[in-house]
Amino acid sequence: MLTFIVRRTLWTVVVMFVITAVVFFIFFKTPGVDPARALAGRSPSPQTLAEVRAQLGLNRPLYIQYGLMMKRIFITRNLVSYSDQGQLIIPEIFAAAPATLSLVFGAAVIWIVMAIVMGVAAAKLRGRIYDPILMILALIGVSAPVFWLGQVCNFITQGGLHNSVFSWVPPLGYTSFTTSPLHWFTGLIFPWITLSILYIGFYARVLRANLLEIQNEDYIRTARAKGLSERRVLLRHTLRTSMITFVSLFGLDFGALVGGGAILTEVVFGIHGVGFLTWQALQNLDLPTIMAVVIYGAFFIVLMNALVDIGYAWLDPRVRPA
Amino acid sequence: MRQTTSNKPYLARRRTMVGSLAGLAVLAMAAAGCGSSSSPSTKSSSSTTAAHAGGVFTILANSSFGVADPAQNYTLEEWQLLIDTHDGLVGFAKVGGLPGTKIVPDLATSIPLPTNGGKTYVFHVRRGIKFSNGQVLKPSDFVTTFERQFTVPGGNPGFYSGIVGASKCSTKGCDLSKGVVPNDTNYTLTINLTAPDPELMDQLALPFAFAVPANTSLHNTGNKVPPGTGPYMWKSYNPNTEAVLVRNPYFHVWNKLAQPAGYPNEIIEKYGLPVSDEVTEVENGEADEVWDGDQIPSDDLTTLNSPKYASQVHVNTLTADWYMALNTQRPPFNNLEARQAINYAANRSAYVKIAGGPSLAVPACQILPPNFPSYKAYCPFTTGPQTVWSGPNLAKAKALVKASGTLGDKVVVNGTNDQVGTELAEQMVSDLDSIGYKASTQLLSASVQYPFIQNSSNWSKWNVAWSAWYQDYPAPSDFLNVLLGCSHIVKNSDASPNIAAFCNTKIQAQINTAESEEATNPSAASALWTTIDHEDTLQAPWVDLYNPKQIDFTASNVHGYEWSPQWYILIDQLYLSK
Amino acid sequence: MAAVVEQVSTTELRPAVAGRNPWALAWRRLRRNRIALAALILLVLILVLCLGAPLYAHNIAHDGNVLSPNLNGTTVVHGKVVPVMQEGGGLLKLGETPIGPTWDFSHYFLGADNIGRDVAALLLYGGRASLQIGICSAVLCCIVATIVALIAGFFGGIVDAILSRLMDVIWAFPVYLLAISLATELLTHSNGLQVGFLHVSATSLWTPTVIIAFIYVPYVYRPVRGQVLSVGTKEFVEAAIAQGASNFRLIFSEILPNVVSTVIVLLPLMIATTILTESALSYLSVGVQPPNVSWGTIISDGQDLLYTRPWVSLAPGIMIVLTVLALNVLGDGVRDALDPRAKLRVR
Repeated sequence: MLTFIVRRTLWTVVVMFVITAVVFFIFFKTPGVDPARALAGRSPSPQTLAEVRAQLGLNRPLYIQYGLMMKRIFITRNLVSYSDQGQLIIPEIFAAAPATLSLVFGAAVIWIVMAIVMGVAAAKLRGRIYDPILMILALIGVSAPVFWLGQVCNFITQGGLHNSVFSWVPPLGYTSFTTSPLHWFTGLIFPWITLSILYIGFYARVLRANLLEIQNEDYIRTARAKGLSERRVLLRHTLRTSMITFVSLFGLDFGALVGGGAILTEVVFGIHGVGFLTWQALQNLDLPTIMAVVIYGAFFIVLMNALVDIGYAWLDPRVRPA
Repeated sequence: MRQTTSNKPYLARRRTMVGSLAGLAVLAMAAAGCGSSSSPSTKSSSSTTAAHAGGVFTILANSSFGVADPAQNYTLEEWQLLIDTHDGLVGFAKVGGLPGTKIVPDLATSIPLPTNGGKTYVFHVRRGIKFSNGQVLKPSDFVTTFERQFTVPGGNPGFYSGIVGASKCSTKGCDLSKGVVPNDTNYTLTINLTAPDPELMDQLALPFAFAVPANTSLHNTGNKVPPGTGPYMWKSYNPNTEAVLVRNPYFHVWNKLAQPAGYPNEIIEKYGLPVSDEVTEVENGEADEVWDGDQIPSDDLTTLNSPKYASQVHVNTLTADWYMALNTQRPPFNNLEARQAINYAANRSAYVKIAGGPSLAVPACQILPPNFPSYKAYCPFTTGPQTVWSGPNLAKAKALVKASGTLGDKVVVNGTNDQVGTELAEQMVSDLDSIGYKASTQLLSASVQYPFIQNSSNWSKWNVAWSAWYQDYPAPSDFLNVLLGCSHIVKNSDASPNIAAFCNTKIQAQINTAESEEATNPSAASALWTTIDHEDTLQAPWVDLYNPKQIDFTASNVHGYEWSPQWYILIDQLYLSK
Repeated sequence: MAAVVEQVSTTELRPAVAGRNPWALAWRRLRRNRIALAALILLVLILVLCLGAPLYAHNIAHDGNVLSPNLNGTTVVHGKVVPVMQEGGGLLKLGETPIGPTWDFSHYFLGADNIGRDVAALLLYGGRASLQIGICSAVLCCIVATIVALIAGFFGGIVDAILSRLMDVIWAFPVYLLAISLATELLTHSNGLQVGFLHVSATSLWTPTVIIAFIYVPYVYRPVRGQVLSVGTKEFVEAAIAQGASNFRLIFSEILPNVVSTVIVLLPLMIATTILTESALSYLSVGVQPPNVSWGTIISDGQDLLYTRPWVSLAPGIMIVLTVLALNVLGDGVRDALDPRAKLRVR
């Protein structure tokens, strides 16, 4: 078990290295990209351009530049943005993280609760009309593009009804909890709902499918034969087992979201989290920020992947992967 | 200068008027511009100042202006704030309308006339002025200020390079001890130039030359703005969230015309919202201004037409061109007839509609914009009278295409991938297709597109490219020489403003003559510029689309709106009603 | 899933019963699932509508291509000729608003977009692009993922380790950067990209197709690999090995057929996912490029008109929801049909 964990950790490091190297390469291969020019101002003389290039180390071989950047990210931690030389990137990411975390945690709470409720209800009510209705509702959630949902949300809350029904909704953007808990909350409600709708649908269906599958396992039949109440069978035995898949999928999705996967939601609602930062960096082709958020994101995704796999391997030795 | 679209920082290159002729032209322009805005406010007495003072003024901008060091920043977005926090030896009068184009003494007691054949200026610096950190302003502070123009890379495009010693300056170091000579006892500052420069005073009025303390680092200060002498000071700046300006406790008014006291107690500029949300917030009174460089989408324009907002919307004419440069270096547009053909076919009213209609844009055929020095209306590319565009001339266009032998050629139309950029490119494709070309689009993000189309190594990849140019200063050379002069084709460089790579030796000779005649025979020069403008137009290096107008949208409790032709909206002169 | 579906029926006492192909059984189960059938019919309907886009374009009275701007055009509403783009009102007359829905099939049924194009026509043409990209990328993704999963699952060991980690890298990769970079790269090569004998033009629909297929390979890889591993331990595989079957035969004749059903279940779900991803990429301007339109680009175009002409954004969004919903329902139905314990699921 321990060797497995150690091996996975080592692989994680290798994966991160490969991702960052590929990002680095892609960036410099993209036409029209010249960080020196962006930093040297609007009409630089060739001499100025050369000086800036030397200052940034852009005239050195790619692998040396890569090494320098990694050093600035991990060791000296003074990585500076290309499009704005005053901006230290690492603190910027840490400052943006609370917004993303607030968004993702809140949405996660909503979607876990709702998914369990809907999944269990649909499984219990199987055979009656509510089952397909609930599942169709869940499916609609899964089927709508999240940015479109966000637009529709904005349309409703910030448009004509803003002065009447939705006057309590603050203007778009994120207010930190320390500034104003009330605004933090009211400002995040609709982003939470929008983001969670997609996942509620998916997880409700996964849970329902698992519950139904497990219903027919022998040990459940045994439990029923023992005379346990249906409710107890459902909650203590069936639910617990089906949560394995649920939790492992949740780990993957959650990791991806925290790592900046909520980019579209953040952009549509104006929440300045890590996803928003990523989007701005891509617009401005700001390599250091892109690298830093890629590392940040990849770290979470790979970490959660590894945790999930470890958890699986611990629970079920048959499925121990490479 | 080229102004980029709403989600990019607004870049400004502002130099001032040259000669009285330019001044007259600016007068006309400003008068036209002020036509639909509220009348310039009268200078308030100190009692009204006290009555109006107070409140927090909030501006919403879609994106920040990047790095904040005043020696590097070249955006109108920051300049609108820097004129409130810093001062130069001289400055533009801080009022709206025509008077706002006049240069008045600021930190200097008066504007000196040059001596020594135009190469020496002696300024008397005011005493008793303090920076926002309590340091007393001394003439030696200006040495650092000017040296930073060279040690901090980028920023100004060659201003102040006539100062003695500047030619040896670089990012490695700068010694201007012979060019900028301070005398801290007599409080004088002497500036020595290598050659006379009638534009020096204008350049000194730009935020590049605003005073910073002598001990300011010669390297880029990043997002920390050095202390200034203005009525406000920078409390904080985070390009991802907001900039906060508070009152400078050491400020007192020494020249009301150059630097009056400001009304709001605090000025906040917030970044990152989509423009339509900015408009919504200002409509709801949750913020006070949509930053005037942000383009307001058509949805919101419809709302703004409501009489409810009549007093809050101000529309002003800009001396600027939005155009499509034609790549004169390769087929089909190395052929004059082909270039003229597309000019005849271009449906300028459609482009105007993309810009938001006739209230926001005026169709253009020629290089110089209206109300500009040497401008005389000329539009050969239409049916009907040759002074104003009235409609496309498809028959003539098709005939020209046939005659040029380029019928059926493939044409690549390069543009930016934002909403308006895409629409303009698609309309151009449609116009090209209608006369027999096979056109396609090539849409790049704005930060990539601008350097891409300037670089000669990309000449083989595009035939038509969108660009825009806003006046730096009201002089014809700013359009005709910078954008269409032979010396402004810089090969293999991302900074080559003559995008069309147009070079006509006969016209260039005329340009050279006009420039040398500026100082000696201004009226002859002016007439020559008009001729050059018409000749360039007929050579059709561009398809000029339209001259845009700008909207300022303020909240209902904002008063005192003034539009300065130099800085546009004067933020600290606005006051909030309770 | 078990490879062999046993014909379990207590009423079948007669000898010499004709066995039924498991696929035929599955199809029959699917047919009985009315909701899934309804979804299938809806999908076919959408497909037919979108394929009929040129017919609709022909029907609209409009000179020239329905996809090119029509800013100065006019149309007929209630018998009156009106301009497609209308100048703003009030004193300032700011802005130009496109015409709203006329609910008239020959004249701007859903209104016009920012440059005067017929939204209903755009919707159909956009559907062609979205569906083409969605289906092709899902199929491509499934094929590639299956091959990789077969190799990884079959050979195991270091091969499996490397491939799985490679999949990790791809899964963690920032898709938007890849899309932006590739799009910019292709656009600025005026002749497109030349890869061997393949030529991809700059604005081809294959660019987003390949990108989307690529990034979802790990997603299909995981369950397929799990299935390969599970099938690999079954007795019939051991038997085949004992018989001396070659690796190639083992992979393609023994394991693959039993893994195919997993892939088939995933296919509609993947199409749904790829359609959603394509709309996101197009919305951010790094997916489908002009002159092509897709549902994502129309939503993006409609953003500025959201409050005055909401249909420009709502219509393509609704189309996406309907299509993806139908695909999900169908996917459920297919999974139910292929599951041996389907008796308990299908209702």
